[in-house]
Amino acid sequence: MTEATDAAILDPSSVYTGQHPSARRREPALGSDPFAQAENEPDPFLEHLELLHRTDGIPTVRTAGNESPEHPAITARERSRSKEREWIEVPELSEIKLPDRTSWVDRLLSDEDRRRIAAIAPLAGGDAAYDRFGLSVDVVRNSLPVMMALYRIYFRVRSHGHEHIRKRGPVIIAGNHAGVLPFDAAMLVTDLLLNCNPPRLARMVVDRWVATLPWVNVFYARGGQVVGTRENFADLLASGQTVAVLPEGMRGAIKPFSERYQLQEFRVGFIEQSLASGAPIVPTAIVGSDDQTPIFFNLSTLAKRLGLPVFPITPTFPWLGPLGLLPYPVSYEIVYGEPLRFYESYGPEDARDPELLRSLSRQVRSEVQRLIDLHR
Amino acid sequence: MTSTRSEAVPGRRVALTHADSPIGHRLVKSLYHDPSIERIVALGPGPEPRDFNRFSSADECRLTYSRVDHARQRSMSTFFNSSLLREARIDSLIYIPAHAAPTPSDPPLAGELASQTAEAQLVLQHLLEMRGLDNLICLGSALVYRLSPGNSNLFTESSELDLAPDTSPEIRCWINSDMLFQREFHNPALRVVLLRVPTVVGTDGTLYFNSILARSLNSRFRPMGFDPICALVSDKDVVRAIQLALRGTARGVFNIAGFETVPLSLLARWTGVPGVPLPSALISLASRLSNILGGTQIAASAVAPHLRYGFTLDTHRARRELGFEPGYRIAPSPVEDGRIQLESAPV
Repeated sequence: MTEATDAAILDPSSVYTGQHPSARRREPALGSDPFAQAENEPDPFLEHLELLHRTDGIPTVRTAGNESPEHPAITARERSRSKEREWIEVPELSEIKLPDRTSWVDRLLSDEDRRRIAAIAPLAGGDAAYDRFGLSVDVVRNSLPVMMALYRIYFRVRSHGHEHIRKRGPVIIAGNHAGVLPFDAAMLVTDLLLNCNPPRLARMVVDRWVATLPWVNVFYARGGQVVGTRENFADLLASGQTVAVLPEGMRGAIKPFSERYQLQEFRVGFIEQSLASGAPIVPTAIVGSDDQTPIFFNLSTLAKRLGLPVFPITPTFPWLGPLGLLPYPVSYEIVYGEPLRFYESYGPEDARDPELLRSLSRQVRSEVQRLIDLHR
Repeated sequence: MTSTRSEAVPGRRVALTHADSPIGHRLVKSLYHDPSIERIVALGPGPEPRDFNRFSSADECRLTYSRVDHARQRSMSTFFNSSLLREARIDSLIYIPAHAAPTPSDPPLAGELASQTAEAQLVLQHLLEMRGLDNLICLGSALVYRLSPGNSNLFTESSELDLAPDTSPEIRCWINSDMLFQREFHNPALRVVLLRVPTVVGTDGTLYFNSILARSLNSRFRPMGFDPICALVSDKDVVRAIQLALRGTARGVFNIAGFETVPLSLLARWTGVPGVPLPSALISLASRLSNILGGTQIAASAVAPHLRYGFTLDTHRARRELGFEPGYRIAPSPVEDGRIQLESAPV
């Protein structure tokens, strides 16, 4: 975070849009005279309580005990259908007023890029500039020049099919995964941010163990990545956001070079969430990532002893140390396919049928595989 | 407000524990101005706060303060069998735990933790014997939930509690109290409401209900490479939630939280004590060395999961069934001597 941002956060006038504590009459510290406060000021909350008292109204829809946990997916559906949770609106670029350049990072960004960053600001929500997952739009902005350099110069990403991603509302991007380090995910997020209008900040779902890695966990959280739990997934979809999943998981990232572009089994959680929330699934092929770090074989026993998820043997790793894991400058192509709307045929209650979930997951996998084969 | 009170129809007759703690103090104030509250019996282990006198001696006599050692069987028995309580015909009890007191810089001793659990047991034991008691509103902590790696732990009321054997004694103490009150959820004669709150920000910027966090900010040490999200709530919102719980008919557990979820690093800057990130191993070593040299433990829990992983609370149920919406925002504000202090302001 820049000094300017720090100053802005610490500056009380920038924190609230309404009246700030310092602007109010300073309340005496507790213990001096706590009874004096309400003598002269009408308290709307007291008026609310009084109204409840007079009408014997109860702010309760139903009396409930300590209920058994609801199915998280169903809860999300209910929220979505009852419109209890509104979608976060990301404006189109034409509606965004060009923000002032406030730091040196802004000088590295074009006017359109700065508009894109300004457009996704509502995703962080609130005045504190962080959402509940730790997303910081400032960090996204500050890392964008590096991401764009990787995107445009190093991986020379070409992409098409953005018209299949709807402009507003929840959507699930399901792609293939390869290459040990998740540069494919980074390029997918960058592509969606740079090429959709309104810009889409994909909230990439990551494994739990990533959250235990020092620094990495902070950077991921600030960049909008979330740990893949049902609750998080449902919450993001309920607020109309874009959730990106790489359903092959780690198995895809560490598959040997001999199996490149052959998709592993897909997980099923994203299908369950799609059925529950009514979010379309956009099958996405990321062509190029399978060539970025060719794995000859994986020393799984050594990896387990070292507490690592993988210990690959590649042309450069471990011979060059950690640098050997850096990807080769391969060319990427990202292709978005026709959205799959399983929720039109199946209801949320079907999300409890594991056989159905597996079957639908295989359909998504086949579609991604078809796109890969088409564009390799 | 006086005229409103005189017109008020007979309402609740409330007793509350730890009324001399900052949150208890604020709650007494709010209850006093609430026309639906007919009688307030405030208990506290300390002497009667000076400003209570003015009201307890008035003709109206809606407020009585009684000095009771909450952790002693004899003291509690005497109070619960007293004529004061019989005459007050209390129908609701608000249990504010001892944790509501400001967090000391040193970790609490095992004895203190045990007495906090004993308090909850004694209160529960005595109030179950009371006649005419309909409502029990308890204040609990959201630290009871089991924390998974990552920042994105969203806890609902039915999330799993942290019952792991290596849970810190402070959290275990919260869980013990929590489970004691949960036992009574299905008691048809008593409506029990348990409000679980995250870190509470007091009027003077002090942090309550999260001694791990408060102590870390005190000692300035925190684990390197982690910056957990911290959920905050204003003490005024906590008091509002208690009032709503008292007024409603809902029972069970409710998560109560404010608007703010901020990273620990930002919270440290907000409180004017920027942290020093250190490797966890180094913090443990420094803590042990300090202990050997006779100093205080620098940060016994500086490597606790709550300083690495963050959480937020799902408050949908409180909104739906209690009608609770946070009404205060928390932000740093400069104070007289140039320091920065957390304050809350109405939305």
